This record gives sequence, structure tokens and C-alpha cells, in this order.
Amino acid sequence: MDSLPKEKLEHVHVHNVYNIIAPHFSATRYKPWPIVDNFLSGLDKGSIGADVGCGNGKYLGVNPDVFTVGSDRSDKLIDIVRERGFEAMVCDNLRLPYRDSCFDFITSIAVIHHMSSPERRLMAINELIRVLKPGGHLLIFVWAFEQESRSKRRFSEQDVFVPWKMPKAIYGPASSQPNTAVAEDGGDVVYQRYYHLFREGELEEMVRQSPDAMVEACGYDRDNWYVIASKK
Amino acid sequence: MRLITHNMLQCHVKACPPGQSYPLQIRNAELEALDAEFNADFVRRLIPKLDWKVLRSTAFELGVAQLPEECPAEPTEDDLQMIHKVALQTRVKEAEMVCSGCGHVYPIKDGVPNMLLQDHEI
Ligand SMILES: C[S@@+](CC[C@H](N)C(=O)[O-])C[C@H]1O[C@@H](n2cnc3c(N)ncnc32)[C@H](O)[C@@H]1O
Ligand SMILES: [Zn+2]
Repeated sequence: MDSLPKEKLEHVHVHNVYNIIAPHFSATRYKPWPIVDNFLSGLDKGSIGADVGCGNGKYLGVNPDVFTVGSDRSDKLIDIVRERGFEAMVCDNLRLPYRDSCFDFITSIAVIHHMSSPERRLMAINELIRVLKPGGHLLIFVWAFEQESRSKRRFSEQDVFVPWKMPKAIYGPASSQPNTAVAEDGGDVVYQRYYHLFREGELEEMVRQSPDAMVEACGYDRDNWYVIASKK
Repeated sequence: MRLITHNMLQCHVKACPPGQSYPLQIRNAELEALDAEFNADFVRRLIPKLDWKVLRSTAFELGVAQLPEECPAEPTEDDLQMIHKVALQTRVKEAEMVCSGCGHVYPIKDGVPNMLLQDHEI
């Protein structure tokens, strides 16, 4: 993992993987997490926001009284979002194509943990804060190193590959797209996704580094750390 | 891409001259009208969040509508209907968005802008 330059690592083990697994990934994403649901449901009517790294767009329709622009690095996932009738674009969280201070709210659900260095994670968070209006709210969720006791997973390192298994019978044989690492395991094709697992306090600490952000709440929910912050 | 979204977009090429990265010019546009439910209260709350000048000039250039010079302070039902039509129901299906600062071209295909840059532009 260390031998690859950071952009290349994310290219091979995040961006290309999501593009290949898009239909299967989307079929597994439909239940909103309660904290995200509450955050979105509590927004003022007429709010404008962005869901950065929106995946298949599972949060874009939660609150019909706000306008949300979905975006993701994966054009294949964005195709799915568009087919569902949501507003969507392809862009990278590391450089957002939005003007400063133009959104009332931002959600970043399970995205920042795919950035492969502290500098890149901070850069992604700072972009989210930059496009937020003063007084606007931001919700970030990332995967936790500390997994709940009933969870099957245990990690011994913070930077890991997590396999995604796609049944060949449904989704066909392994992709021959260049720059993808694949393996086979019985009836499955296995793709390795890169994750940085956050330790307690790590996400909050990064948000606090921004002079413009104020942490309003943080906590742990279903194997994830989250922070709710507002812009000063 | 609806016109309300265009209102938020700017060029993010690193070498783009400051102050010229917004708004992006829409060229060779193919438009379509979406079926979005009209909600007067929602539109009324949306208005102060828009860059009116940009919405107005974009709507004019695309031949969608002639919005008043100033954003109406006390919008009538007709104003709200018009803004709803321009910002939420007008969708750019195919086009190029060109930055007046650095000339970068962002394509829109099938309603979806692709805002990714090459590594050397970041
Ligand atoms: C675990 S999924 C979460 C998707 C969605 N937010 C959800 O909760 O279901 C992570 C998403 O982050 C996207 N992603 C990864 N790196 C990104 C980047 N640099 N910019 C934008 N999106 C990115 C992936 O394409 C993927 O859709
Ligand atoms: Zn530019």
C-alpha cells in the first residue's frame, strides 16, 4: 500500500473500484442512517445543500423541502443518481467546483475515510467548510477504527484494504479495466477498497483545525464517528 | 443540471485568475423542461440564496426568460412561478461550460456536468 503514490492508490483502490462495483454497491444502499436522517429532516425549508460523495444518492430524497446537489467522484454511481431523477454531477471532494460560502448545509457520509493521507483528509474537510455559508451546517461520517463489540470486524491498523465481493453469477466476470486490482474467491470477484479508519477524536480534531468551523456535536454510531459542525 | 445548480458552480483550475472563475459561460446548450412541483413558499425562501444577476443573465443568454433587473423584494405569485420555471424546471441536457478566466471547458452530458480536472490542473 505504501509503495503507491497517494493519488494512484486512491485511483486504483477507491475510484476505479466504485466505478466497477457501482450497480452492486447501489443495490445494497437504501436504508438511511438515523443521524443523517435527523440532520436532513431538521433543515429549514428552502435550504440549499450539497451531498459530497453521494454514492447512489440514497440521501438526496430524504427531505423534499430542501434542494440538494449530489456529487461523486464515480461517474458510474452518478449515472445511477441521474436515472433516479436527482440533481447530480461528477467532481472530486479534494477540489470542489462551488463558489465560497454558497450552501446552507453539506453532508459527507462515509467519504473522507477514502483519502489516503492526513493532508488529503484535511484538504477534503477544508473544501467542505469553504463552500458552506456562515451559519450553515456540516455533517461528516467516517468509519471507526474502534468497531462495536457485535461487529465481526477487527482492525489492527488504521490504513487497510477492505474487500468488496461481487457474485460473478449476477455481475459477471472480473473487470479488465486497467489499474484495478482484482482477485477471485469461489463464485465472487474481489476488489480491495482502501480505507483510513479514524480513531476516537481524530475527525473532530481535524474539523477543529479550521478557524472557520465550530464543532457542535460529535459521537459514535454503528461503527462510525461523526461530527456536526457549523461555520462561523 | 438545473440553472439553480449553475448558480453555485465556479472554475476550480488552480491557475485560474481570481475573480474570473465565476460564472461559467454555457455554450451550445440543449435544454429540456423538467416536471418539478411548484411550491410558492419554497421558492420564496430560495430567492435570497441565489445570485440574481447570474441567474438573470444566464436565463437571458439561454433564451429561457427575461427576469427583472432587480430581484423582486415582494415577489408576486407570477414572479415565484417564473423563478420556479427558470431555476428549478430548466435543465441543461447537453452543453459546454467555459471559464472566462482560464478557458477551461467542462462538459455536460445527459444532464450531468463533469467537473473533474486533470492532475496537472489541480
Ligand atoms: C462508502 S461510499 C458512501 C456513499 C454514500 N455517501 C452513502 O452513504 O451511501 C463512498 C463514496 O465516496 C466516493 N468518493 C471517494 N473518493 C472521493 C473523492 N475524492 N471525491 C468525491 N467522492 C469520492 C465514492 O465514489 C463513493 O461513492
Ligand atoms: Zn478557470
